[in-house]
Amino acid sequence: MALINRGARLIDALDGRVLAGDDLAAAVARAADALSGKRSGVVFARFPTDVAAVVRYLGAWEAHRPVALLDPELPAESLLELIARFEPAVVTGAPDGAAAAGYRALDDTALGPVWERIGETVTPHPELGVLLATSGSTGDPKFVRLSRSAVEANARSIAEALSIGPGETAPTNLSLFYSYGMSVLNSHLIAGAAVIVQPHSLLERPFWQMIERFEATSLAAVPYQYEMLKRLRFDPAKYPKLRTLTQAGGRLRAELITDFHNRMTGVSGQMFVMYGQTEAGPRMTTLPSDRLPDKLGSVGPAIPGGRLTVRLEDGTETGAAGVTGEVVYRGPNVMMGYAERAADLTRGDEQGGVLVTGDLGYQDEEGFLFITGRLKRFGKVFGVRLNLDDVEKLLRAHGPVAAVSGDDKVVIWVEGASEGAGHAIASELAERLNLHWTGFDVRAIDRLPLLPSGKIDYKSLEKAA
Amino acid sequence: MSNIDRLRTSFRTALDLSSDFDVDALEYRGIEKWDSLAHMSLVATLEDEFGVMIDTDDVIDMSSFGKAREILQKQGVDFAG
Repeated sequence: MALINRGARLIDALDGRVLAGDDLAAAVARAADALSGKRSGVVFARFPTDVAAVVRYLGAWEAHRPVALLDPELPAESLLELIARFEPAVVTGAPDGAAAAGYRALDDTALGPVWERIGETVTPHPELGVLLATSGSTGDPKFVRLSRSAVEANARSIAEALSIGPGETAPTNLSLFYSYGMSVLNSHLIAGAAVIVQPHSLLERPFWQMIERFEATSLAAVPYQYEMLKRLRFDPAKYPKLRTLTQAGGRLRAELITDFHNRMTGVSGQMFVMYGQTEAGPRMTTLPSDRLPDKLGSVGPAIPGGRLTVRLEDGTETGAAGVTGEVVYRGPNVMMGYAERAADLTRGDEQGGVLVTGDLGYQDEEGFLFITGRLKRFGKVFGVRLNLDDVEKLLRAHGPVAAVSGDDKVVIWVEGASEGAGHAIASELAERLNLHWTGFDVRAIDRLPLLPSGKIDYKSLEKAA
Repeated sequence: MSNIDRLRTSFRTALDLSSDFDVDALEYRGIEKWDSLAHMSLVATLEDEFGVMIDTDDVIDMSSFGKAREILQKQGVDFAG
């Protein structure tokens, strides 16, 4: 099993160096060897967007070390809490300063700063490959356990669905510890394609200089980044090699989907709308670009190897067209399960390849999926999943509140709030959840609408959002 | 309100800063609150406040309070008074 195929290359946007072929293999082998010499068990990889961090990740993969991909901006106390809870054998990209309790700090020649666990730790399940945090923000984050075969299967399916070949070049436009960002990296490496490793945002000139200089052929973006691209009046004619856009990470409004599809097809390019969840490693569907106009609003059919049904309230499942229910996905990329503590890392597959998504939707007669809502109370802010019940709990001090999901934001209704209070509440949430305040739209309401049962009428609030 | 005060107020609104925050020396990413998302809201606020269209290069180049002032000046906003 290999995640890197012949031809795969990492382009370091900072110095223009290309790491490929034997050199890439040697660098990865060095990282793998260095890890093999450390205490065995799970690796926590703090994952900034740089070539060294990518090589450490690939080294962990090669060494058959399950690797948790972590936000390097995670506050120190959160990192220490995760370390205490999951007892990783090694932490790579370790922060400056003293090691966590029970760890020694080392400066490894191949890996850089490392914390190594002094005592024994759990032996992870042999099939475990990658751990990704669910929403890292509300409550205690847990990890999605992805097997090695799930990660590889998804990388291959994505490469197939998007026709990624050795000639493709994708920039890192999304964080690599985020499932969509990881999947762009993996699908290109497995297809023998190139990844430009670069840290800039769409709003920085070096980003666009890098697109030109290294001749990026595709760009993967989440909804708020499409808003930015619109604001920037993104014109693919300026970038003759850039001919593919992909979109995932939540629902993009139909107007923008059509707009960007037109921009791309105007230069003989393509726009792919996709659907996934971290629990599926992450991709589940892809809408072929040429079907986008007549299937507007769909996220496409299941990726190769996957299958979709919907589950009805009585528990039966159907693949029939036009029937709305909870979307169920089956495929080799479905996670093994969650992990909330170290002991869970030893567990095998608990899902049997079945993922009940919590999203509501239906398929049409061609098997194209349309997502119509959510069964579980989740919202997405800038691609980050939030449990809406947790959001409400955080705001209990403000009296009766109700949180519903809007387009890439959470709308919060607060009973009897004053005009100025809304802004303060958005700021408070932003700080506590470590997300941007513009992701929270706080509105005053005289009385929250209730159902006859006395429960909050979320459906009517969703309509008003 | 003078144009320079309108500009200051726009910055404070868009970047979620208190009404007495000194914004004149601010730079993009110089404070946590001026990140890429806030930048989009800043551009939108300035376009609304001054009735201008800020083009792609200027969105990217607007890396400080001073730069924003220059870009608006170029569009005919008068900061002399």
